[in-house]
Amino acid sequence: MANVKISNLNKKYPNGFHAVKDVNLEIIDKEFMILVGPSGCGKTTTLRMIAGLEEITSGEMQIGDQIVNDVSPKDRNIAMVFQNYALYPHMTVYDNMAFGLKLKKTPKAEIDERITKAARILDIEVLLKRKPKQLSGGQRQRVALGRAIVRKPEVFLMDEPLSNLDAKLRVQMRAELIKLHNDLKTTFIYVTHDQTEAMTMGTRICVMNNGLVQQVADPRTIYNSPANLFVAGFIGAPQMNFFPGRIVDGKFVEVEDHTFKLSEKMMKAVKEKGKESAEVTVGIRPEDIKISNSQEGISAKVEVTELLGSDLNVYFKIGQRSYILKTEAASGIKLGDDIYTVFDSEKLHLFDLETEESLVY
Amino acid sequence: MKSKKKFVKWSLTFITLLLFLITIFPFFIVVINSAKSSLEIITDPISFPQKWSQLFTNIKTIWTSPSVKYASSVYNSVIITVFSLIFISVFSAMAAWVLVRRKSRSSTIIFLIFISGLIIPFQVVMFPLVSLFRNIYEVSGVKMLRTLYGMIFTYIGFGAPLAVFMFHGFIKSIPFELEEAALIDGCSKPQIFFMIILPILKPIFVTISILNAIWIWNDFLLPSLILGIGQDVQTIPLAIAGFAGSFVKKWDLIMTAVLMAAAPIVVGFIIGQKHIIKGMVSGSIK
Repeated sequence: MANVKISNLNKKYPNGFHAVKDVNLEIIDKEFMILVGPSGCGKTTTLRMIAGLEEITSGEMQIGDQIVNDVSPKDRNIAMVFQNYALYPHMTVYDNMAFGLKLKKTPKAEIDERITKAARILDIEVLLKRKPKQLSGGQRQRVALGRAIVRKPEVFLMDEPLSNLDAKLRVQMRAELIKLHNDLKTTFIYVTHDQTEAMTMGTRICVMNNGLVQQVADPRTIYNSPANLFVAGFIGAPQMNFFPGRIVDGKFVEVEDHTFKLSEKMMKAVKEKGKESAEVTVGIRPEDIKISNSQEGISAKVEVTELLGSDLNVYFKIGQRSYILKTEAASGIKLGDDIYTVFDSEKLHLFDLETEESLVY
Repeated sequence: MKSKKKFVKWSLTFITLLLFLITIFPFFIVVINSAKSSLEIITDPISFPQKWSQLFTNIKTIWTSPSVKYASSVYNSVIITVFSLIFISVFSAMAAWVLVRRKSRSSTIIFLIFISGLIIPFQVVMFPLVSLFRNIYEVSGVKMLRTLYGMIFTYIGFGAPLAVFMFHGFIKSIPFELEEAALIDGCSKPQIFFMIILPILKPIFVTISILNAIWIWNDFLLPSLILGIGQDVQTIPLAIAGFAGSFVKKWDLIMTAVLMAAAPIVVGFIIGQKHIIKGMVSGSIK
């Protein structure tokens, strides 16, 4: 059992900076939990507190059945993969992987066995006698993972391990990490600022901002039902369109000259929250705006197009406001085209103007 | 344009050659005169020796000279140099590591004090130092003058500022994550230093060792103050000075002894010179 339970966790630095604010999070055994958020949101600090590299100001940290607030990193049964890999430059790959085990006085035969097995999993058997400087970025990354694997930890901690790799290798390593998680069946806690990594790898995602947890849910829920304006804007590329609107009679939302009918679910939620007549921020994902083939819908002018292989991002303007939609590249939309857009009112998101919380989810 | 470039190139070559000759000339004089008798040197100091076997005769004379005690001075020089180097390097690396990793005002102040040690000339403190050592002996009975450990202790003090300064710059370029990884792997603080940091410091370690070895091995002024010329405990430079009396200067023995003293340092420098360059630029670029 290696679930990680974080209760009311706080980190305050001597200069007064409050990096992590009252974080509560339960990571279930064998889960792939992603901590995601912009730079300075507190995700790495949280991970470092789990590792024991950062002192906890207040709150409780539990790994398995043990409260580890005062337990040293080596006794937490964790392994960590760092952003810059942190391989010992004077040691060979084999020695890097064996170092922790040697310190634990593990018998040599067992060290050999564990390293051979890990090297086979990661396909680094031929690199064992090399020094880190003789390896490419991807190979170093594998060695860093290997060093973590041989320890047989209860929890793997990873601090943006793919951020130093080029785009192609990152995609490849992403798939390998998912496979590794399935093979090892261990708890993974992974920090990233890359929402694509978060969406593709995580069993669950914890979105953080300004030291606070914004939402914890599986990737689909995070994408489809963002809890607040920040999550809605942070997850998804291109970003969700936001614009001011007004709920009328609890049934419609007015945006400038246009009126959209709310879905049954939205009407119910709006009624429950007493926002039947309120100013709101309306959001809609780019793929939920369609281009009409007939002259129905809202007329718009194309400002910019971005071709992404099979997809096309279209930046367009309605009145004075800019929006973005995502369509098929085959649609042939060009810069300067006049188009008619249809907003899928079922897929609208409504956010409270003051609290920025979603009114629907 | 082309001829101007050529002129600059030849001028630089000429200047380099001239500097080389000026630098090598004293060493050349030592080499050729170490294989001569005293009379030969006085008659013609810049000619090649008549027979090189005279070198071995001179070496034998130096080694067996009862008045100079060259063998024991070699032993003393080795002890002083080796122990001073070990202590300067290890203690300075430890100090620099702590000063880099402990980001506090006191660390900055201590580092600045170390740096100030670099800019104070030795000549300013040499007499107060002897006087201080004498006082220490009078107060505590610990004999700092005329002892090997007194000499080593003094070298640590004078060698540490440069060593700390160089280690400090290098350690700053070592990612802190390495130490954190070692901590997770199960290292204690001393293990992190000796198993992770110290091996990484190897190039700068060798540089500092060579620079200090040259200085300590060849130093005359400091041992002459701490140990005294003609006393029981002598280093090689002091022993060599013993061949130069008030009325007679044994130039043949002086030259041979200088060659013997320089040989290990020259060999050491040739072996370690690539590390010196490596250590000098380490930390300056990532």
